Amino acid sequence: MATSLSYYLREMARGEWLRKFLFVKTAPYETPPHFRDYPRLTGKECTHCLACMMICPTPGAIEVLKTENGWNPVIYPGHCIRCGLCVEACPEGVLMSGRILESQFYDNTGYASTFHITVDRVRCMRCGNCSVACPVNKEEDPQLAATGTGANDAVIMRVKGGELQILHEEKCTGCKTCEETCPNSAIRVARVVEAIHVPEEEG
Amino acid sequence: MSFLQSIKNSVRSKSIHVSYVNVGSCNGCDIEVLAMLAPRYDIEQYGIYVHNNPREADVLLVTGAFTPQWEDKLKSIWDKIPEPKVAIAIGNCPISGCVFNRRGSYVDPPVAKHIPIAAEVPGCPPRPTEILNAVLSLAPLVFKDYEEKQS
Repeated sequence: MATSLSYYLREMARGEWLRKFLFVKTAPYETPPHFRDYPRLTGKECTHCLACMMICPTPGAIEVLKTENGWNPVIYPGHCIRCGLCVEACPEGVLMSGRILESQFYDNTGYASTFHITVDRVRCMRCGNCSVACPVNKEEDPQLAATGTGANDAVIMRVKGGELQILHEEKCTGCKTCEETCPNSAIRVARVVEAIHVPEEEG
Repeated sequence: MSFLQSIKNSVRSKSIHVSYVNVGSCNGCDIEVLAMLAPRYDIEQYGIYVHNNPREADVLLVTGAFTPQWEDKLKSIWDKIPEPKVAIAIGNCPISGCVFNRRGSYVDPPVAKHIPIAAEVPGCPPRPTEILNAVLSLAPLVFKDYEEKQS
């Protein structure tokens, strides 16, 4: 009893012990290298396919902007939730974050996103704003009239037979311009993202 | 700098009292604040103490995208904190509204519209380390020579 007590007293009287007890602090933990931080540019060339913007779940987190070096994605930290979906969705590997690219390379995984367009028949008033505003429609049929009527069936949607009809859902790139131009919020674009094991372009 | 002021500076940099308020977040950032308290990050070794009482606090950590119920309440909490005081926005929500800031939602970000925010820690949620670094680097900076700056 007496020996152990004196042992402790002697131990605590050491300058080293006192200094550690009073002053030593563990530094704030280092961020590990595999931490999925805000995506950074790898330096590869961006082809302006906008796959990153389309898959991003957060409003205003990523934009593809044109600089003197061509198109490049820009991440806004106050908006980005660091989910890493843009890194995985990019077919060119323009962005990097943590070890997403490495694991994607070794596991052969990727994302296939399709877009599902639904029209609320009750709210839709057949104005055709969505068909005219759609950038894919504009390429398919530049003649599409202001009421969304036309003769070309290669467009995504157009007013046909007094109804807004979705003709080629698979051509949708998910820009949601139609949602923004619709005066009645009648059209909705839902993103359907599937995780795939072997990317189609490689398979 | 007077002797009294130097004592106040050193005490204030080693004893920072933090209060946090959730103005409509998903609790993710609150859990990260809680993780700072836990032994792994252990903020008390830096002299940071967490209270839920604004009258004891120096630093207010604001999380959340500012729902309408907080319209009058956040300002009153901010007014209750004694000077010198500072508010830090934790996470994306007080900065931009993050995923909640969509058409048809009732949130009203940024929080900087309602109370003065001195620093913003982006992330959804930010790492506890990032919050800790923000508090540790900001608080001594703001509280240093407070009385001399006043006069």
